[in-house]
Amino acid sequence: MADFSYIPQVLVSGLGIGCVYGLIGIGFCVIYNASGIVNFAQGAFVMLGGMLTQGLLQRYGLPLLPAALVAIAIVALLGVVLERVVVRPLWDRKATMFTMILATLAAQIVIERVTLLVGGDQPKTLPMFTDLPPIQVSGVAVSYQLLWIVGSSLLAVAALAAFFRLTRTGKAMRACAINREAAALQGIPVSRMLAAAFAISAALGAMAGILITPTQYTAFNVGVPFAISGFIAAIVGGFGRPFGAFLGGLMLGLVQSLAILGFGAGLKTVAALSVLLLFLFIRPSGLLGAAK
Amino acid sequence: MNRLVLQNVTRRFGGLVAVDDMSFSVPEAGVTAVIGPNGAGKTTLFSLISGFLPPSSGRILFDGADITGLAPEKVAGRGLVRTFQLVKLFEDLTTLENVKVGRHLHTRSGLLAALARTPAARREEREVEARALELLTFVGLKLKADTPASGLSYGQQRLLEMARALAAEPRLVLLDEPAAGLNGEESAALSRIIRRIAETGTTVLLIEHDMTLVMNTADRVVVVDFGRKIAEGTPGEVRVDPAVIAAYLGSAETAPIARKDARHG
Amino acid sequence: MTSSLSITSPEAPRRSWLSWRVALPYGFVTAVVAYAAVAGGYPATVVSFALIYAVFVIGLNLFMGFANQVSFGQNAFAAIGGYTSAVLTATYGWEPLPAMAAGMLGAVAAACAIGYPTLRLKGHYLAMGTLAIGLIVYEITVEWQSVTQGYMGLSGIPPLGIGGYEITSDRGQLLMLAAVVAGATFLSARLRGSRIGRALSAVAGSEEAARALGIPVARYKLLAFLLSAALASLSGSLFVHVVGFVSPEVFGLHMVILTFTMLYVGGIGTIAGPVVGALIISLLPETFRGFKDYQDLAYGAALIVMLIYAPKGLSSLFSIRRRP
Repeated sequence: MADFSYIPQVLVSGLGIGCVYGLIGIGFCVIYNASGIVNFAQGAFVMLGGMLTQGLLQRYGLPLLPAALVAIAIVALLGVVLERVVVRPLWDRKATMFTMILATLAAQIVIERVTLLVGGDQPKTLPMFTDLPPIQVSGVAVSYQLLWIVGSSLLAVAALAAFFRLTRTGKAMRACAINREAAALQGIPVSRMLAAAFAISAALGAMAGILITPTQYTAFNVGVPFAISGFIAAIVGGFGRPFGAFLGGLMLGLVQSLAILGFGAGLKTVAALSVLLLFLFIRPSGLLGAAK
Repeated sequence: MNRLVLQNVTRRFGGLVAVDDMSFSVPEAGVTAVIGPNGAGKTTLFSLISGFLPPSSGRILFDGADITGLAPEKVAGRGLVRTFQLVKLFEDLTTLENVKVGRHLHTRSGLLAALARTPAARREEREVEARALELLTFVGLKLKADTPASGLSYGQQRLLEMARALAAEPRLVLLDEPAAGLNGEESAALSRIIRRIAETGTTVLLIEHDMTLVMNTADRVVVVDFGRKIAEGTPGEVRVDPAVIAAYLGSAETAPIARKDARHG
Repeated sequence: MTSSLSITSPEAPRRSWLSWRVALPYGFVTAVVAYAAVAGGYPATVVSFALIYAVFVIGLNLFMGFANQVSFGQNAFAAIGGYTSAVLTATYGWEPLPAMAAGMLGAVAAACAIGYPTLRLKGHYLAMGTLAIGLIVYEITVEWQSVTQGYMGLSGIPPLGIGGYEITSDRGQLLMLAAVVAGATFLSARLRGSRIGRALSAVAGSEEAARALGIPVARYKLLAFLLSAALASLSGSLFVHVVGFVSPEVFGLHMVILTFTMLYVGGIGTIAGPVVGALIISLLPETFRGFKDYQDLAYGAALIVMLIYAPKGLSSLFSIRRRP
């Protein structure tokens, strides 16, 4: 049933979705490292990135790039709001991990439903960033959108690496990741790090959502599957390692594309989730070694 | 006949050797105490015996049978029950219910019996209740039967944990620092309870910091330091053992002689 | 008291003041159901839905309240029960009761296969793993169109009944559901007071201490998971037979949040809590007209507010049990 001549083509498109999962996975890691929290509302950022950009494009007639940037900024701000309103109060009274998960999951639902009320339930999409026919590279069609995705993702990863290595805040966040108590004793404002982590994580999620939307569609309820894929990427990479998460995302994207080739597009989420369960059962510390 | 035999038991954590080639025997009768400075590997030793940690090498025999590497619930099923240094009660349950949980191994009722409340299940429940009340009377907590376990004082919680362990009718009970956090009066009462347990035929092995308790209660003492056994004998013998004195003088601990631990929980 | 070893202070247990607090939630539930039964029509429908959810939440409470475990994927078992009932009756012409039993068997079998590896997970992994299970089943109900008709859903599912007799009236269904909920509550109370229930509480309190007393912790977690799945399946089957229709959205993620809210509002770990929570959460929106669109939004927000400001739920009003 599967035509093997499609494999290179499939791998190329897997690379694109893989970058997106990787960005979401990094988002999980950034928050986790700063706080030990796994933010189950991560998918909301992804969904909002696409939906807001679409809204700005449609309703306010902004050109694509400014619309995307404004959307990312809004979502980043929303990340901070989420941190202030939901996470911080629980964090302050040292709520259990389970409570935190449940609260962020509830936040996911709230954001979804607000989006549904405001934006309706119809799937929406974005135009291709560069509307030209795909480039042919030895029989494989490479779309410009794919170049956008891979390029922007690599840029984001590089920027993040520079941020962690070169800036004061970035270094402080790395210190928090290594040992939060020690970082707090060193005078690092751990709580401000938490807000920064949510902002970065939300921005990455929004970016991922914007990049992927032209190749598929977005709707109020696309967030959770994306979040789970990002989570898988983070686990495969050894939870808490941002760059491991990116590689994990690439791997997941490739596996998922092959699964689509084998079993049809309908079961791609099932395939991804099965990868998650397999990893959890067999190698919860990830391919790239144990999390801290 | 020995209740428990350790043969060259070793446990490493990475490069650290927490228990180093330890061998000793616990006779059936009486109270045996393991003492040693903080960090000497006493609690690791208990975890090895009770199955919470597998030893890196060596063998553990319980009533002649090899229990090395068995899961904790299996070890308990054979009649070896432990308590914990930091009391681990079931805080959502009452004092009485906590002791009833201890009867788990000696009761049978399954799911259907529980839901249908069969005559057999009811009879069993009555027996469990009677036995649990007996044990609460034994440790002096009968009046607290319906108090949530979290509402007990620290000393009472320790006694409750002991009653719960006894409910399992162990042939060997491991008590991990039972006097920690008790005042002098409570500690003395505890000592009498431990003696009574031993008189009923249950072997007692305890780890203790409170030297008054050890000297008054134990029949035999095993002294460990840096994961190794450095001495063994009656309380009178180890008290004057040069290696023991050196170990205690060499550490931040006070000498084992007449040290009165009066920490309050 | 003959023991000379007593170090307790002489203080007798006080119990009497508890009685009205224990009776209050049952009184509330009885009053609501009685009102709905008398009024019939719309109130009966609303309360019927609440009772269907109550069955699910009672199951959730066994696993999360009694045994203190975490699952975000119990909706998977409701979906298995609901769809088995729907497909077997609507497509293959089975009687509802055997179809329901088949659904429960299927759900328990699935829970057994899933639970064994899943329950070894801890923390975030357990949470995400169970969430994934719910989503996998959701995706399957969407994609397996030849059987489930995808988003379109299945209709023409017959109401519950035995032989030729079918329960079709609002009141009849309400009373049938009330009986099921009363039975489930009664059995969960019996379980709680039994050897098995104590073992579950022990697992909840301290896994280490439970194992030290010879309780096979993994087996009891699995048992609670299976019981919870069975009740979830029953709830899913009841839903499809009462409504006559099923679609994937019925058992979607919103069901997870909704039922958690019910469990928290009613009081996690209590006996009456699940039913009280299910009724309160189902009745509240009815008091505001036009609230329907905002329901899931409101549940989510309510849950967040509760987690932040009243982590022990309204249960603190009813419960004699405490959660850390």
